[in-house]
Amino acid sequence: MTSGRPPLGLSRRDALRRGAAATLAAARGLGPALFAGCSLGIPPRAKTVTVGLLHSQTGPLAISATSLRDIELHAFEQINAAGGILGRQLVAQAPDPRSRVDLFPKRARQILENGAVAAFGCWTSASRKAVLPLFEQAKKLLFYSVQYEGNESSPYVVYGGMVPNQQILPALDWLMGEAGGSRKKIFLVGSDYVFPRTANYVAKKYLADKSLKPVGEAYLPIGDRDFSGVMKQVRESGADCVLSTVNGDSNIGLFAALAEAKIDPTAIPVVSTSIAEDELRSLLPEQVKGHYAASCYFQSLDTPANRAWVAGFRREFGRDRVTGDPMEPDWCLVHLWKRAVEKAGSFETEAVRQAFRDGLEFAGPGGTVRLDPKTQHTTKYFRLGRIRGDRQFDVVEASATPIEPDPYPEIAFPGWSVDWTKGGITRGAEVDIDGDV
Amino acid sequence: MNALQPEWWYWLYDVPPLRLSLLFVGVFVGFYWLGSIVVRPILRQFVKYTAGSNDIVGYVLSCFCVFYGLLLGLIAVTAYQNVAEAGSHVTHEAAALSALYEDVSRYPEPHAQNLRWLLRDYTRYVIKYAWPLQQRGIVPQEGTIRAQAFYDKLLDFQPHSPGEQILHAEALRQFNNFLEARQMRLYSVKSSLPGSMWSVMIMGAILNIAICWLFDMRFVTQLLLGGILAAYLGIMMHLIFDMNQPFRGDVSISAEPFETLYQRMDDE
Repeated sequence: MTSGRPPLGLSRRDALRRGAAATLAAARGLGPALFAGCSLGIPPRAKTVTVGLLHSQTGPLAISATSLRDIELHAFEQINAAGGILGRQLVAQAPDPRSRVDLFPKRARQILENGAVAAFGCWTSASRKAVLPLFEQAKKLLFYSVQYEGNESSPYVVYGGMVPNQQILPALDWLMGEAGGSRKKIFLVGSDYVFPRTANYVAKKYLADKSLKPVGEAYLPIGDRDFSGVMKQVRESGADCVLSTVNGDSNIGLFAALAEAKIDPTAIPVVSTSIAEDELRSLLPEQVKGHYAASCYFQSLDTPANRAWVAGFRREFGRDRVTGDPMEPDWCLVHLWKRAVEKAGSFETEAVRQAFRDGLEFAGPGGTVRLDPKTQHTTKYFRLGRIRGDRQFDVVEASATPIEPDPYPEIAFPGWSVDWTKGGITRGAEVDIDGDV
Repeated sequence: MNALQPEWWYWLYDVPPLRLSLLFVGVFVGFYWLGSIVVRPILRQFVKYTAGSNDIVGYVLSCFCVFYGLLLGLIAVTAYQNVAEAGSHVTHEAAALSALYEDVSRYPEPHAQNLRWLLRDYTRYVIKYAWPLQQRGIVPQEGTIRAQAFYDKLLDFQPHSPGEQILHAEALRQFNNFLEARQMRLYSVKSSLPGSMWSVMIMGAILNIAICWLFDMRFVTQLLLGGILAAYLGIMMHLIFDMNQPFRGDVSISAEPFETLYQRMDDE
């Protein structure tokens, strides 16, 4: 080498030096463009929170409970689209308890073990009572949206459905009043489990207070559809109306038997506590037309809020889908929970329960509801609907204002009350539901 | 295989395709370059360069590349067939669902309406919930519940006339077709090339690159030529990786057959 210039080929060291410099320059120049925002352009995965949905999607109760799952999913989808709750997307976990009370605790345990911060679910009181100890032990909230018998309070359950003083007692008042035909011969029919038996106990106490007594009472297991024997009893009792607490697809059998027995709804109307638009999907209109349902909400409510809500649900789930009670209370419960979590700034149960104490309100499709912090029940409008030929209801009676919840009506449970803001349940005398009234 | 958990490396499928391709190329070229700096001087201790030694290395490399290229080609075809097969399961399931929907629409009311909305509910679930899970490599579980709910309702129907009996038998047959296709789709979620294939491919790529380190040539030329080969290997690996999971990545199956069906169900 005689010149000071490097040889024709670069030395390895020079090549490395230049290569490293070129790589760094390229990385500096191209890096921001290629890997803008985050390491590899991977969209950041949203933080999530698991919520359990404990509804029977198969079996006799599926006819009613599936729609609760759907309305909850609808609410979650809307909430998620708006950014979630506290920046977290809601992820639903919905195992199927298959309408079997013995499966509810297993499914509840499954969702609790999978880290659910709260759960929405249960249809029958039997299923709710079966999972209650698990939620109390795990200190997680269960939101229950179905009308029930009262006579229960748990700090870990928020009850969004009607209790007897909001549903059954006003329905009895209507039947016995002029508008209902001044009927006094009431036959009680129900599915054989906690809710119908306790609700009818409350009804019997209420009637006894008015020196009346039901003319008959009959219960069939859930899922049983042979009501021919019951119809015979109704006929023989001389009843002029029937108060039904039959649940699930047993209603198919009940109304088929009514039609078979040629029981005219104008002569012997049936007032059902557990019939909504969803159940009517499986019933023949000619069998149910003219009978009644006691409820807090009907799809036919003609308000802008309700029309928008119904349209939103049908747009998402199909134009032949219907809304009803307890879908509307369920919707309200999801939003009340959302408000409580946002107010608490946490998904922690105790923080959420503290948020209940200030009294939360939500303007639902059926009107504004308020969560009563003392009872952890909600206020309800009472509405009575007559079934139309198109499987919808004409509202024939409605309370002017929402009715305050009373899970322990004095007439049936003397001395009992609950106030979760001041220590919980006050116990009165033991009550024998199956005893004489 | 845990159906509820994706594999640890699934995050790679979240990287946008172009960037993932660049990542593969970068890793392979980077490996080659790094080896050229670190490993090549060591190899030079063992290989005495003489005139014609590059010819020998070139001959070995070309022989190796033939076999390795064949292997890569066959694996790429296998991976593509996996995707195509999973796609056919999806199409088959949507077609069976559509036929079933038509069958139950002929049932008397209220059965027809109740069965129709259960099928619509299933389809909606597949699009909205099952597909995103599949794309994350998780086998969706809750569709089974919806299929079971439909089956329960289907069995509720008692045919009263010979016509209804034929219709019901056809619906049950179609339901079984649907279940079969659905199960095949779920199996496809976790279907991928076996680990041993990946080992052979990766080992082959490393050996390919290692042979290139044996060439005696100018350093920059070595970096350039070997880099080109490594880049091509990276692109091939990316292609196979992309097709490895039928429901993930750029070459993956979409929920389009279900979306089209749902649209039709909704329009009705």
